[in-house]
Amino acid sequence: MGILSKIFTWWDGATIGTSLWSSRNGKHVGTDAQGNRYFRSKKPDARGRERRWVIYAGANDASRVPAEWHGWLHHSYDDLPESHLPPPKIWEVDYTPNATGTLSAYRPKGALEQGGKRARATGDYEAWTPDA
Amino acid sequence: MPKVTVDGQELDVPDGATVLQACELAGKEIPRFCYHERLSIAGNCRMCLVEVKPGPPKPQASCALPAAEGQQIRTDTPMVKKAREGVMEFLLINHPLDCPICDQGGECDLQDQSVAYGRGASRYHEHKRAVTSKNMGPLIKTIMTRCIHCTRCVRFSEEVAGVDEIGALYRGENMQITTYLEQAAKHELSANVIDLCPVGALTSRPYAYEARPWELKKTMSIDVSDAVGANIRIDSRGREVLRALPRINDDVNEEWISDKARYQVDGLTRRRLDKVWIRKAGKLQASSWNEAFELIAAAKPGKDIAAVAGDMVDCETMFAARKLLNALGSNLVESRQTGMNYDVSNLAAVNFNTGFAEIENADAVLIVGSHVRWEAALLNVRLRKAAKSGAKIFLVGPEWETTYPAEFIGADVSVLHDLPAHVAEAMSKAERPAVILGGAALAKGALHPALALAAEWNLVRDGWNGFNVLHFSAARMGSLMLGFAQKGGMADIAAAKPKVVLSLGADEMDLEPFADALKVYIGHHGDKGAHGAEIILPAAAFTEKSGTYVNTEGRVQLADKAVFAPGDAREDWTILRALADALGVSVGFDSFEQLRAQMIAEVPALGHEAVADYGALPKADMSVKASGAMSYPIKDFYMTNPIARASAVMQQCSAELLHGEALPEAAE
Repeated sequence: MGILSKIFTWWDGATIGTSLWSSRNGKHVGTDAQGNRYFRSKKPDARGRERRWVIYAGANDASRVPAEWHGWLHHSYDDLPESHLPPPKIWEVDYTPNATGTLSAYRPKGALEQGGKRARATGDYEAWTPDA
Repeated sequence: MPKVTVDGQELDVPDGATVLQACELAGKEIPRFCYHERLSIAGNCRMCLVEVKPGPPKPQASCALPAAEGQQIRTDTPMVKKAREGVMEFLLINHPLDCPICDQGGECDLQDQSVAYGRGASRYHEHKRAVTSKNMGPLIKTIMTRCIHCTRCVRFSEEVAGVDEIGALYRGENMQITTYLEQAAKHELSANVIDLCPVGALTSRPYAYEARPWELKKTMSIDVSDAVGANIRIDSRGREVLRALPRINDDVNEEWISDKARYQVDGLTRRRLDKVWIRKAGKLQASSWNEAFELIAAAKPGKDIAAVAGDMVDCETMFAARKLLNALGSNLVESRQTGMNYDVSNLAAVNFNTGFAEIENADAVLIVGSHVRWEAALLNVRLRKAAKSGAKIFLVGPEWETTYPAEFIGADVSVLHDLPAHVAEAMSKAERPAVILGGAALAKGALHPALALAAEWNLVRDGWNGFNVLHFSAARMGSLMLGFAQKGGMADIAAAKPKVVLSLGADEMDLEPFADALKVYIGHHGDKGAHGAEIILPAAAFTEKSGTYVNTEGRVQLADKAVFAPGDAREDWTILRALADALGVSVGFDSFEQLRAQMIAEVPALGHEAVADYGALPKADMSVKASGAMSYPIKDFYMTNPIARASAVMQQCSAELLHGEALPEAAE
C-alpha cells in the first residue's frame, strides 16, 4: 500500500490518523489468521472502560472479524481468544467473511452469473433444427 | 335373479353375480386389492370380508362368494370392521412405510384403504421382509418389497395379454412376483400392470419421481397412435405432458391402452418445430410467419394446390384445409399418404362395422393382411376373448405371434379366391362370422374380393355386421368422411402437378413426384416431412389442440387441449385461416366454434359422439382379383409416428424389446 493511497483512501486498513492514534494510545494485543490487528486503549475512556478496535489487513469489512475475536471486540469476554478459548479442532473450517456482493457470492442454479445454464424444468422442450 | 339383502336393503342381483358385486349394486363400497372386474377372481388378499347369513359364523371373502337367494349380507357390523382392520394389519406387516418416496403415493389403493379401513396405529415392532427388485424392462419399474401379492399383474398377462411373462415364485411370505428369468415384459400392453398394481410395487419407469398426482392437470383426450382411438387422460403440469393414462370406455379400450399410447408422450418435448423455417439456397433457415405466407402467395398456386393429411391430424384441421383448397378452386386432397387407392365410394366397405365390443362375440374370424397385435393391440385383446369363448380364427398374411390359437392359411392374398375347404366351411357355418381386412390386404386390392366373400357368407345379418376393415392411422376414417381421398390415391395428386403441396403432418408420403412443387409442411415434429419441405410452419400436436377424431369403427370422439404448443407453433386451423388471408380467399370461419359448426353442417355425423352410420355394404365388383404376397406396413411397433420416433422411451423399447440390444443400465 503506497503512501499516496494511505493519504487519499479510507477503505483499506487504517488511515494515517488512525494509525498514528493507534500507535500512540493503543496497545497491539493480537493478530488473527487473516492478518487483522487488534488493539486496546492504554487508558480507560471517560466512562472508565477500555476501548477495543481492529485495523483490517485489507478491506474494511466488519464481517472479516472471526467469531473468536468478535467476542473479545464486543466485550463479551476480556481474555484474549488464544488464551481462554479451546484450541481449534482439526475439522473446523477456516473462517470466511460474508461473500454477499463479491464474486464468490452464492448464485442459484440458472442465474445469469452461472452462465445462464439451469437444470431441466417442466415445460422445457428440445427444438428441432434442420441439421439434427 | 337371486334376491339378497345388503345391510337391510333388499335387491335383485343378476345371475352369477358375486356377493361383492351385490354390495356394489347396493351402493356399498367394499375394499379390495386382488379383485378386479376384468380379471379372474383370486380371493387372496382377504380385504373384501363381509358377514353373510346363512353360512359359517365368520367373515367371508365376498369377491369369491356367489350371491344366492335369501342371503343376508352385512358390511357394517363390528365383526366386518374388525376383520378389515385385521387384514390390513397383516398386509402392512411386510409393506414398507416409504410412502413419501413412493411414486404411487397419492393414488395408492393401500394408502387409501388403510386410512379408510385400517387401525389408527401400528402394533408392529419386528423386522420387515425385504425382496430384491426384478427387471421387467424399460417401462416397468419394480420395488418388490412393496408387493402385497394380489397377483393382478400375473392374471393380466395370462388372461388379457395372453402371454405367460409374469408369474410368482415360492410360497407364503416368501412369494415373489417376477418375469420369467427376469426378462423384460415384451408385449404391447405390458405397462397396464402399472395401473393394475394396487401398491407401488410396479410403477412407471419413465415417469419415476416426475410428479405427484395432485399436481397434475387432467385432460380428457383420445389416443392417436393407432386407429383404435383409445380414450386416454393426459396428465400435464405447466406446459408439459407428463403421462397418459387410460380412461374406461367399454366400447373402445375397456381400461387398457397400448404401451405406445402410454409412453410416446415424452416425444412431445423432443424434435419440436417451434419456429418457421424457409429453405433459402438449399438450406432451411429460421424465418417469420409473414415471410412464409408471402412466399406461398408469391407462388400463385391458384387451383394448383394440393393438401395431404398425415396419420394423426384431427378432423377440424382437415376440414379447414379442404375449405381453403375449395376456396382456391382445387379439390386435390388425399390422406392415404402411402399411395393406397382402395375404393372409398361407400364408407361402410372400409369401416370396422362389427365394433370392438361386438367382435368378442364372433365365432369365426378371418383376418386378412393385418398384424393385429401391432396395428391395434387393443383389438387383439378382444380377439383373444373371442378365441377363448370358442371362436375359430384364421389369418392370411405373413406369420406373427398370435396370443390365441389361430391358423395361418397363406401369405399370398390370392388365397381369398381359393380358400381351403375347412376355412370356407367354418366361415359359412358360423353364426356370427367376421372378416377383418388390414392395410396390407387393402394395398393388394383385396377389398372387393373380401366384399364378395361377405356376400357369399352372408356376413351382414340380423343384428350382426361381420365385415371389417382395420385401419391403423387415427385420422383415416375422419379423413374419408371429409372426402380426403382421390380415386387413384396419391398418384392422382402427383399427376395433377400441383404448384403448392400442403402437407398436414404427412411424414410417410413420397416427396419425389413433387420435386417441382413448393412443399409446405404444417406439423409439430421435425421428421421426414420437415426435412423434405421448402417451408415449415410449426403446428400443434394432438395434446395441444381440441379436435374430433374418428376411430376405425367410425366412432366420433372429441379430445380436449391439455397444454399449449411450444414457441411460435400455432393450432393448425389458425395457420390455415391465416394462409387463406395471405392467398386472398375467404374460408368463412373466424373461430374454432365456427369451423366446427361448419364441419358439422357439412358432415352431420361428426357432430355426434357416437358410431357413425355409413349405410349398407356395397355390391362386390367380381371382376377385381387380388394377388401378390402381402407385407405388413408396420415394421416396428414402437416407431410408427413422428411423436413415437422422437420419444426416447420408444426408441429404447424398440432397441431393447424388438431388436434385442442389451442396453447398459445405470446402477440403482
